[in-house]
Amino acid sequence: MQEKAKNKIIIIGFALILFLFFMINLIKEDEQISITERRKLAQFPKITFETLSSGKFSQNFENYAIDQFVGRDSFRTLKAVWSNYVFKQKDNNGLFLLNNSIYKIEYPLNNGNIQNSAKKINNVCQKYLKGMDVYFSIIPDKTYYLKEDYLSIEPSEVEEIIKNSVEDMEYIDITNSLKLEDYYKTDLHWKQENLKNVVSKIEEKMNLENTSNISYETRQIGNFYGAYYGQLGRKVSPDKLNILSNKVIEDCTTYNYETKKTGKVYDEEKFKSSSDKYDIYLSGAAALIQVENPNAKTEKELILFRDSFGSSLAPLLLENYKKITLVDLRYINSNILGNYINFENQDVLFLYSITVLNQNILK
Amino acid sequence: MVFSSITFLFYFLPVTLAIYYIVPNKFKNLVLLIASFIFYYFGEPTYVLLMAFSILSTYVFGILIDKNKKTQYAKVWLILALIVSIGLLVCFKYMNFIIENINLWLKHKIDFINVALPIGISFYTFQMISYLIDVYRGQAKVQKNILKLAMYVSLFPQLIAGPIVRYTTIENEIENRTHTMEKFAQGIRRFIIGLAKKVLIANVLGELCTTFLKTNEISVLYEWIYAISAMLQIYFDFSGYSDMAIGLGKMFGFEFLENFNYPYIAKSITDFWRRWHISLSSWFRDYVYIPLGGNRTSKIKWLRNIMIVWLLTGLWHGAAWNFIIWGLYFGILLIIEKLFLSKYLEKIPKVFTHIYVLILVMISFIIFNGESVNQIVTNITSLVGIGNISLTTPESIYYFKSYFIPIVIGIIGATPILKNIANTEKYKKIINILEPITLLVLFIISTSYIIDGSFNPFLYFRF
Repeated sequence: MQEKAKNKIIIIGFALILFLFFMINLIKEDEQISITERRKLAQFPKITFETLSSGKFSQNFENYAIDQFVGRDSFRTLKAVWSNYVFKQKDNNGLFLLNNSIYKIEYPLNNGNIQNSAKKINNVCQKYLKGMDVYFSIIPDKTYYLKEDYLSIEPSEVEEIIKNSVEDMEYIDITNSLKLEDYYKTDLHWKQENLKNVVSKIEEKMNLENTSNISYETRQIGNFYGAYYGQLGRKVSPDKLNILSNKVIEDCTTYNYETKKTGKVYDEEKFKSSSDKYDIYLSGAAALIQVENPNAKTEKELILFRDSFGSSLAPLLLENYKKITLVDLRYINSNILGNYINFENQDVLFLYSITVLNQNILK
Repeated sequence: MVFSSITFLFYFLPVTLAIYYIVPNKFKNLVLLIASFIFYYFGEPTYVLLMAFSILSTYVFGILIDKNKKTQYAKVWLILALIVSIGLLVCFKYMNFIIENINLWLKHKIDFINVALPIGISFYTFQMISYLIDVYRGQAKVQKNILKLAMYVSLFPQLIAGPIVRYTTIENEIENRTHTMEKFAQGIRRFIIGLAKKVLIANVLGELCTTFLKTNEISVLYEWIYAISAMLQIYFDFSGYSDMAIGLGKMFGFEFLENFNYPYIAKSITDFWRRWHISLSSWFRDYVYIPLGGNRTSKIKWLRNIMIVWLLTGLWHGAAWNFIIWGLYFGILLIIEKLFLSKYLEKIPKVFTHIYVLILVMISFIIFNGESVNQIVTNITSLVGIGNISLTTPESIYYFKSYFIPIVIGIIGATPILKNIANTEKYKKIINILEPITLLVLFIISTSYIIDGSFNPFLYFRF
């Protein structure tokens, strides 16, 4: 008797899960984007003779079915929780939660990729920067500052590889100028308001005027759910996004070479509209941006080869420069840089995070 | 289509089950046939025609063999039929491997042919061969209805990765099978257990193996973690698939034979192969080993028969030298056991026989997974620390901690401990309550793992 009841429960339970999800998925309207994952979701695949006969349709259909599955975010959270609490896995898809902060494992060091990144930097040096003052600095991943036994890349190993491939660059070691608290809890980036020591270190090494006594107004813009937040799929309290501002920064104008648009250093519109709130700094990703400082007390200019970390740091270097040109080598090929920039005797700083150097993505 | 996909679980399966149980009995086979072709088409759009052609040829040859029963022509038709089926298998699976090896000796190289391996061809070809030989031997009645034969060959639960269901096993069920609530519930149970084995253990340990193969920080600890994980991964992957196949079979009224019986508790390599991929080893026994004379022949021929069977078993797994070496490795081990080792194995304490089997099987899977002879040798020698490698590295310690629980669950799951507890009379009451809950939770968790499998984080480096 009990056996029969058990079988009934199994059949009814299984059938309910199967048919309910089938029906709901069928009825539910498809979504275009996932806000938490910050990506476009797969849409119902095109039915053509080509897709049907090549197997593309079935692959695309599976992607679609997974992306549009009802309660997708909750399922992802469930998986993350299971992996963390039942399997006791230290990370979930490379991400892990520790003391309310989210981290991503950037490991192991990929020797070939770092060498390739160094080669790209060297190309720029050989082609444009001969005889100029060139500096480079590596931004450690935040896992580097964890005391626990998590895997992280040693910045000194990356430095060694780059030094061996590129000549005549002076290295600025900022590893001791940063602490774990200087990074966001839900994002990979550093907090602008905590960059004082980094700025001082750069100023010292590049023989710039020390600006540590310059006052900035810290303005809290709002809650910030960083990139890791959506990727991990667990509930964590948001960061607060702050910006440092003063008259010098406020008066600066930016010019984006791609969009040919001018703007301000801090783009609060972007903070409201973009899925990535970090876009507030210099309006987000761009191949080539120029920032002009009308209040500069100097004629000096800086060319900053950088990734996204550079967007929040650059405003804090403006006191020392009349113009800063920010180049992101992931979006522009170094061979055509000469068409846009007149390389004379500007200061040059390569500032890249380990995460970027460890991939082969510089052009 | 694979079982562990959303397309299968939440589109194909509910629709197929609903239609299957709504239509009258006489249409059930047709529903299964159509569903099976759609299932195959989803994974292999072009080769669906190849499968259809194979079925057609098997059907025609089956009838010809049957018509000429008791005459010598039956044998001629059988040989022709075998040439066609094995010929197709060779063309699509082994041709480039053959060309590659011939080219080693040629000055003017032969070009490779442009074919991909049709999914499941090794399984369905072996099923068709078993049918043809059984008809020839008079052990199976010829199937005169092509739709029923096509349904048998293409039956989606077992089409892609076995078990190799013989025609004689389900001959009667094709004509007439019963559908009971008990069978259906059993089917669900087997299916969910299989799905969880595949998704929660095999796939998770698979990630670890992939990470290991990419590392450049080799250590003794890491090699052991890899060897054990690879061993568990392959078992849970394959036996999980068989569980799902058997479970689905039951849901549609079929009873397939078991394909695995806790192989990792075997007491000898001979015992291991009675427990691992049973449908394949029994296939080779009945259609190759015994026809060659088995062990009722001279010692030399007997040994030859064993080596032929294991060479073929190796080759069946794939067109590459490591599979051949893998097969021959087992052939040699089995010969050693049969000739003298087995009597010693019976006398020594059980724990040593288990260790003996596990170590040899573990090494076999290193060969199985190996990409080159060099890599295989390094993997094996590193297990005992040969080659100046460190005992641990931060990476190996990290992954050891991170995968400790899945590995332990895997080890426990590879033994009958849980099954024995579940079958204990005094726990019956509590098991009856826990079982449905556990199954449904496992189903939901497995689904969440499949959904997260698409985890495709937006490349943050846009900014």
